[in-house]
Amino acid sequence: MATAERICYHCGESVPADADLRIELQGQFQFMCCQGCLAVASLITDAGLSNYYRHRQQVAAKANEHAVDAAAAWQTIDQRQELWGVESANGDRDLLLQVSDIRCVACAWLIRSHLEKQPGIIAVQVDVNSGFCRFQWAPDTTRVSEIAKRLFGLGYTPHLPLAQAEEDGRHKERTDSLKRLSVAGLGMMQVMMYAVGLYAGDAFGISAAARGFLSWVSLLVCLPVLLYSGRVFFQGAWRGLRSGKPGMDLPVALAIALAFLASSYHFFLGVGEVWFDSVVMFIFFLSLGRHAELILRQRNLQAGSALARLLPEWANRLADQDRVEVVPASDLRSGDRVRVMTSAAFPADGVLLRGQTEVDESLLTGESLAIGKSVGGAVIAGSINLQQSVDLRVSSNPEDSTVSSLGRLLLSAQARRNDDAGLPGWLVPWFIVVVLCIAMAAWWYWLGHDASRAFAVALAVLVASCPCALSLALPVVRSSASLSLMQQGILLTRPSALFDLLKIKAVVFDKTGTLTLGQPVLVKVEINAERPEFKRDEVLGLAAAMESHSRHAVAQAFREFVPTSGLVEVVNHDGAGLSAQFGNQPLRLGKQKFALDTDDHSVLEDHSLWLADDKGWIARFELNDALRPGAEAMMKQLRTNRLELSICSGDSEMAVSQCARKLAIDSYQSRQTPEDKIEYIKELQSKGTVLMVGDGINDAPVLAAADVSIAVHGASELANSAADIILTGTSLASVTRSMTAARKARKLVNQNLTWALLYNLSILPLAVSGLLQPWMAALGMSASSLLVVLNATRMRSITTADIEPTSSATAAWAQS
Amino acid sequence: MSMLYVLIALALALLVLAVWALFWAIGNRQFDDLESQGWSVVLDDDQKPPQSNASNDEVSKPTKEAPP
Repeated sequence: MATAERICYHCGESVPADADLRIELQGQFQFMCCQGCLAVASLITDAGLSNYYRHRQQVAAKANEHAVDAAAAWQTIDQRQELWGVESANGDRDLLLQVSDIRCVACAWLIRSHLEKQPGIIAVQVDVNSGFCRFQWAPDTTRVSEIAKRLFGLGYTPHLPLAQAEEDGRHKERTDSLKRLSVAGLGMMQVMMYAVGLYAGDAFGISAAARGFLSWVSLLVCLPVLLYSGRVFFQGAWRGLRSGKPGMDLPVALAIALAFLASSYHFFLGVGEVWFDSVVMFIFFLSLGRHAELILRQRNLQAGSALARLLPEWANRLADQDRVEVVPASDLRSGDRVRVMTSAAFPADGVLLRGQTEVDESLLTGESLAIGKSVGGAVIAGSINLQQSVDLRVSSNPEDSTVSSLGRLLLSAQARRNDDAGLPGWLVPWFIVVVLCIAMAAWWYWLGHDASRAFAVALAVLVASCPCALSLALPVVRSSASLSLMQQGILLTRPSALFDLLKIKAVVFDKTGTLTLGQPVLVKVEINAERPEFKRDEVLGLAAAMESHSRHAVAQAFREFVPTSGLVEVVNHDGAGLSAQFGNQPLRLGKQKFALDTDDHSVLEDHSLWLADDKGWIARFELNDALRPGAEAMMKQLRTNRLELSICSGDSEMAVSQCARKLAIDSYQSRQTPEDKIEYIKELQSKGTVLMVGDGINDAPVLAAADVSIAVHGASELANSAADIILTGTSLASVTRSMTAARKARKLVNQNLTWALLYNLSILPLAVSGLLQPWMAALGMSASSLLVVLNATRMRSITTADIEPTSSATAAWAQS
Repeated sequence: MSMLYVLIALALALLVLAVWALFWAIGNRQFDDLESQGWSVVLDDDQKPPQSNASNDEVSKPTKEAPP
């Protein structure tokens, strides 16, 4: 049996050598790594759902062994009707829960099949991409905790129903957009059909009655499309006008309205052309673009509920006589006492009442070292308790905690940045003014020569210059660029950010986790020359053995070495270091001050670890935060582009300067709070456009404040939701690669714009002179649009030249 | 030519029907999840519990919930 390493059939992790858990599946025994996985797997097979294992595309998450306790906590929800979901007319509830660890469609099927069989659960819907599950359930037959228990039983983790209103709002926005799109699409098909008849009639002859009828039906179909699907453009234009900032909606609304009014005027007059087909086609293509952007934006926003996810959802509140009760963390109030277990996150800001520990604040402040805390020390919500369970007095309500204020900072920074999608900002008013002027001039000219045709010609000018190809020129390149970049592990969450990359003058980097990987690595071992009896392997073995008793991040640096056995009495000295007995030799490992047990203040605090016994120091281990792959090459590349580079980090002066020296960056700031960083970015922005590259929760508001922002691989969800560009590969080379792609995309956009402008400009004189036949205009419009689209697809062949394999990372992201 | 009037009237009726059907489908969340329904053909296949039959399937589940 003990031939090769055994893999857990459920979660794919290796099975411990001493475990002997297995399950019979289709006549074969399969190994399980733990009781949790065994319980889940036997539930799945006993319920006749073992097809899950045959068809799943990814292994499941390792089952939570404390699932029973976690499920029991949900019973507090059973008393709280406000968390039961929306009540429908017949008394059923519609509950939306976000569920972790849903990885592929097989998971969705598993949840649906299992829960829909339970009494009281009427219908289940699972969205694989966002993890949102919708349960329709009957409160008189079952309870919320029962639903949660079933989900835990299958190995999934439901989260508290807090974001239902937001998600319902997003859902409504999405369905409304889809309805508008489908009405426009169906209407377009009809009107185009009639238009073919009308254009054919122009070429081969048509009876007046048939022409009138076709025009009439076109009007009939066009009107509801205009009123239903086109309404958003009029609303947008009106909002823009009222606020004094007319946007892209104004020319669109103007073009639609004028083309429709002119067509109706011609129809009722019985002379001249009708362009109902142009109106619906224009509405359809615009709706299509808007819908695609909405979906992209919403997928990004769903990570926005990540803010709540940073904090633990449940807290162990201490009631009278230190009885522990599990409550939703949002129920905590200032003054409550809370117990926080080892390696759990603090649910609220507070002050330690009991115990001593170290906390990891790296995602919150950028500080790369664990920080020692003792009774009376203040901790912030979201930081991780590293050493032992402690009691905490909550000092602020969860909505006022440091993390929540970071979230608010992020929202306000995001609101300041407007994103005008579509044509380049300067082009829209310019184009509209020119077209309007020409139309007016044509009208004035024809008024003097042939007054009966004046209005028709003026409108012909407006319609012929309908900026169809022009308005497509940029969006098609943008979407084809997003697609090809996604295959290279670069996600554009705000597509127009790609072009903003071309304008940047300065780049600001976060350090911990961005330029570095946030994990210390051993770079140098120095043995005391006066103690030659110690060999390199020996000291590494001793250090590894001692550090194996520490949860400190530094311990990871020694994990690759074989620990020496025979150490006893290993004691962890609260952040300073470790001591142990080896034989009859007392050993100390830690900061120099601790290892040598001195009070000498000339001793420099650095990242070095010292190993010493009672005769003096033995070895010095130089540790450093490993640079992210591609960091040096990226800096070189950016420097050749003459960009102003700087590092802005919350970490200590020492750590930041070391990193800056290694990357040859002169300008760096250390010990920066998010507010400081935003201030620094604003200062740079007075000189030019700024790109921010970051990863932590504390970077999120800064990312939103910068003109363009990139979140690196492994960034916190909050940073991802604030960033314009998310890297899904570990290498920083993607930063320069997206700039190259931006330059190429800009070139294609320029080609497209040139072509579209040339087309519109050359068609104008024909329209002005009254020579333009409608079918010519239709042909020209389609051909120019087609050319623009085809040109945009060249983006893919251009950028695939310098790909490195990141497809697996992209696939993993797509599944999550 | 009169055929044209009949056919177009018919097309319009179908258009109204199509819009109604689409709105119904969108309202019923038919477009929310385009992936998993296709998979359920494969997943819902034939597998029955190896040792228990479908009827005691329902009963046996709750007891499996708590691992020993």
